[in-house]
Amino acid sequence: MPILAERGYLIPAIDTDTVDYLSCAVQLARSIRQWHPDANISVMTVKRCSDPVFDHVIPLPYGDLGGYANDWQVFHASLYRQTIKLEADMICAGPIDHWWTLLEKRDVVVSQGCRTFYDESAKSRFYRKIFDQNDLPDVYNAITYWRLSKTAQDFFQLVKMIFEHWDSYKKLLRFPEETPSTDVVYAMAAQIIGPEQVTLPLGLGPTIVHMKRYINPIQTDDWTKELTWENDPFRINTVAQFGLVHYHVKEWSNE
Amino acid sequence: MKTGALIFARNNEQIDYEAMARWSAKNIERHLGIPTHIVTDDSAPATNARHFADVGAVTWHNLNRMDAYRLTPWDRTLVLDADYVVASNQLTSLLQVDQDFLAHRWAYDVTGCNNFEGLNWFGNNRMPMWWATVMMFRKSRQAELIFDSMQMIRDNWTHYRNLYKNTKTTYRNDHALGIALGIVNGHTVNHPGIPWSLASLTPEHRLTQLDKDCYRVDFVNTQNKSRWIELRQDFHAMGKQQLGAIVANPC
Repeated sequence: MPILAERGYLIPAIDTDTVDYLSCAVQLARSIRQWHPDANISVMTVKRCSDPVFDHVIPLPYGDLGGYANDWQVFHASLYRQTIKLEADMICAGPIDHWWTLLEKRDVVVSQGCRTFYDESAKSRFYRKIFDQNDLPDVYNAITYWRLSKTAQDFFQLVKMIFEHWDSYKKLLRFPEETPSTDVVYAMAAQIIGPEQVTLPLGLGPTIVHMKRYINPIQTDDWTKELTWENDPFRINTVAQFGLVHYHVKEWSNE
Repeated sequence: MKTGALIFARNNEQIDYEAMARWSAKNIERHLGIPTHIVTDDSAPATNARHFADVGAVTWHNLNRMDAYRLTPWDRTLVLDADYVVASNQLTSLLQVDQDFLAHRWAYDVTGCNNFEGLNWFGNNRMPMWWATVMMFRKSRQAELIFDSMQMIRDNWTHYRNLYKNTKTTYRNDHALGIALGIVNGHTVNHPGIPWSLASLTPEHRLTQLDKDCYRVDFVNTQNKSRWIELRQDFHAMGKQQLGAIVANPC
């Protein structure tokens, strides 16, 4: 793809049978524009989309390979010299453009760790057992930065390889998943390249607020029904949110 | 700048808070070198019932802590619970710090027997609690807003109790302070706090005084063995009866 701008956000949004990720991406892009009206924002999707919130709607450069296995195509789809890839099912609850200053010194940065809605570092390892059992870095692909570079090219080539040859790569893991998740694939790629090459020290880089049940002090799977929340400004149980909130309950994006 | 302490002390059927406050005032004068005013009777009929492990259910006259801002004669005030034992000059540093309001975020059991997880948070979703046991404030817009917010929360307690899914029906200053600090600080949960945790002694342990500023705590540890420690520091005596006995017959 031609490079059209120095910096921009890219949101992959490939629908599944149950989730309309494009709709999520539209909400995410709108929330980013609230804080950064002039940001460059593109979506990578297989659907037609004419929503003006996006500067560009980019088709998958190598076609739809099925679900999360399309992820590595973001490297080829990006129209920016520096890209921040954002998972679609998030909402931007505060300014994030200061991230560029932090990230631009590196070739690749995959976010590490996540936060509760109280802005505490998440301690629960409930969803991260495979990472702990295999000493993988605690990466979250939900926020991934890269600049056009050899490191980024190598990283996404590895991501592609791992997705395409999962049956071989999973033998390297204890208790592997049958179907690879993007986070595990990124973690393996990071481990192979060297975590220090593609992450910032823990606690330094941007992290998502993750609204999954066992990360937060909540009793049910659906936080949107258990907790009070309000928009503009976005607060959960009266606590102001900032940065990106991974809301996890996909239907919530329509509210 | 006039600096002093303020202690709320309203007696009930079981506990002589005024006696505790007078005793504490002497300790404050001795260790911190500041005078103390005791609030013994406020016209507002703010009471409810509270159950203490060592004395049972009593009438609880402690709903007016937010009046500290209005009542204090000092520019910088140290508000202390009557059952907070001043046994050192540790609080002196709070009288010099450049902050409008400070309180404790964390409390711990000095014996290590009790995990205060349940006490440092409130509500089903673990809202951070801030202890109103020790509060330092300067006359300032910030402090005024915090106390005004506490009053609003107390006056609308049912709403806030529901909002935070607080299973405890009794209003507590500590819960209100946590909520108020959030409101005043832009609905966040990270605020400047007293840079050490609140040493606390729960009622099931036996407290006796060995010397003017030395106390003995006898307790049964988690391995069911009898142990004791000496305390030569400030602490929050949550067992009112034992502290009452010390105050009645001090060393």
